[in-house]
Amino acid sequence: MGEELNVSDILQGGNGVNEEDDDDDDEEAMTAPEVLQKLEEAWMNEKFSPELLPVKSNLVECMLAQINAMETNIENAKKADLRISIHRMEIDRIRFVVSSYLRHRLAKIEKFTSHVLQEEEKRRDTDAPLLSDAELEFAKGYEANLKSHLASTALRHMPTNAATFNDKEMAVLPDLNSYVFLRVNETTENVLVEEATVDVGEEIMDFEKGDQHIMMYKPISSLVESGAVSLI
Amino acid sequence: MAMDPSEVEFLAEKEHVNIIPNFSQDTIFLISGDIGPFSAGLPVSVPLWLAVNLKQRQKCRVVPPDWMNLEVLQEKKQAEMDSRFFTEMPSPFYIEITQLLLQCATDDIPRADEIRTLIKDIWDLRIAKLRSSIDVFIKSEESHAKLNFLTLMEINTVREFLTKGLNHMHQLRSNLTGSGATQSSQFL
Amino acid sequence: MAAHLDELRTVNNYFDLDDILASQEKIPCVFNIAVEGLGYLDQSTNDPNISVGTKLELPFWLAKYLNRDARGIVAVETPKNYREGYRQILAADPSVVDLHRLGPHFYLFGGKLAILNLPDNQDVLNTLLQTFQGRFRRIMDGAQNALHSDLTSQTDMLDESELNLFAAGQRGLVGFQQWESRESEKLSTSTMVVNQRKRKWVSSNGDAGD
Repeated sequence: MGEELNVSDILQGGNGVNEEDDDDDDEEAMTAPEVLQKLEEAWMNEKFSPELLPVKSNLVECMLAQINAMETNIENAKKADLRISIHRMEIDRIRFVVSSYLRHRLAKIEKFTSHVLQEEEKRRDTDAPLLSDAELEFAKGYEANLKSHLASTALRHMPTNAATFNDKEMAVLPDLNSYVFLRVNETTENVLVEEATVDVGEEIMDFEKGDQHIMMYKPISSLVESGAVSLI
Repeated sequence: MAMDPSEVEFLAEKEHVNIIPNFSQDTIFLISGDIGPFSAGLPVSVPLWLAVNLKQRQKCRVVPPDWMNLEVLQEKKQAEMDSRFFTEMPSPFYIEITQLLLQCATDDIPRADEIRTLIKDIWDLRIAKLRSSIDVFIKSEESHAKLNFLTLMEINTVREFLTKGLNHMHQLRSNLTGSGATQSSQFL
Repeated sequence: MAAHLDELRTVNNYFDLDDILASQEKIPCVFNIAVEGLGYLDQSTNDPNISVGTKLELPFWLAKYLNRDARGIVAVETPKNYREGYRQILAADPSVVDLHRLGPHFYLFGGKLAILNLPDNQDVLNTLLQTFQGRFRRIMDGAQNALHSDLTSQTDMLDESELNLFAAGQRGLVGFQQWESRESEKLSTSTMVVNQRKRKWVSSNGDAGD
């Protein structure tokens, strides 16, 4: 059974993990531990970023495939095997990360529905869509339900000239100026930490690997997406 | 966004510690990486979550990390008192590891009670320092701060408070410059 | 967990209750034109109409609308709590002022006034910033130290946004202490389930009465 449980083999056997990488241009297949590590980073970034980040479908699907393969292996193993309980515990841990990641995303989709759908429109056919297919379906359904709810509880009682949605006025947008904590993964020079305003000029800093900062999200949002920094 | 301390603990549980198993077992191919092989009586490195579990099932002894001894921690405490800044901790998860090991493996850790007290002293020193720095930061005109050596659990105890405070300050400043006219300054 | 999920900061939050409440605060207005049939708004007179020069306090959302044009239907004045006298008191020692009494949404409403372009606009906005900076330490210390004592003495002088900040400080501390004492390990019934049970009990009682 030891052989069967070597999931690194399953992974490198080519179930498409190597195409996943939108973060770095590394063409090599990632090992299961690397995928898990990336997923955990995506989880923390999603948890702390004020806006919805592009979905990491490949990481999620890869980990779910890993879990399924592992569960099949466990079923075939002898009941007394010490390894079973250990693998079960690990599966539970990974499931927690996956569900928490997806749940944070759903919360943002519910909060920023129309904004998210507009953004997705622009990105749908790029290699970094905002939403998974399932999330897109959920977002559309949620928006339709919300609108029909508001129409039936409030709008239909309004005088006709006030009985329409003002999408622009009602749209709830993420506040990109929210403060976040971050850790630097790759030394990055000349980071614009504050845009110039009327009273103060722009402020530029060098980020050294390992540094931790608290600052506004907006100036470093692209570094989160590129993986140069992680939100903590 | 808030994070529950138990989630910080969850991250800390990935840190490796040495255990001495009382069983033998070939390498286990976990999704997060291979562990083992295990030979009864020989130290082996495993993630903390597994160490805690095996200890609870009486399948191992825990080897305390190098830094979990009185001399090291006394020095650490002194260094923390002497420095105006945060000093680097022996582990970024020092409080979580201490908490978990002292809970499940007290019998494996010499002078556990004194260690608990020292770690708590260091924690209190650092949190007091953190609060004074926050006050200075809020009163300054700075829009960012470097927080090297602050651990995740320390950040987490002030996370919501500090980010809310700074967000509010930013709102009040942008009211002044007129750049925040469309923003609601809600404190959510 | 569910509570944490609702903490995303937003801009332009149309449905925000605090924002709606702050918009209801009153602004002193003077009518520039006569308005027929609205005399009932002015309770000091029996005149069915509002005449030019009538002084009335109107909610912000209405005053803003009536004041829109250069010579609007009404002229607006800075509300008393934001005028020079109060600004001096706040400048002297911001930490002892009862902001809750000055307006439960002191900062939010104060920020909204900017759109009215009152002559002392910048002074008001400066006061808001300095007041918050001056009160911050006390809010932080109160939130950290007052875990087991009576909270009202710490909180009854805070405006709504400060209260919210205070609560966040307490959550951080309580969360850590519960973790440290391993309280968070114990499973407890979710409040939603508890409430659900209460509700069922009430409704089944109601059914029995039918």
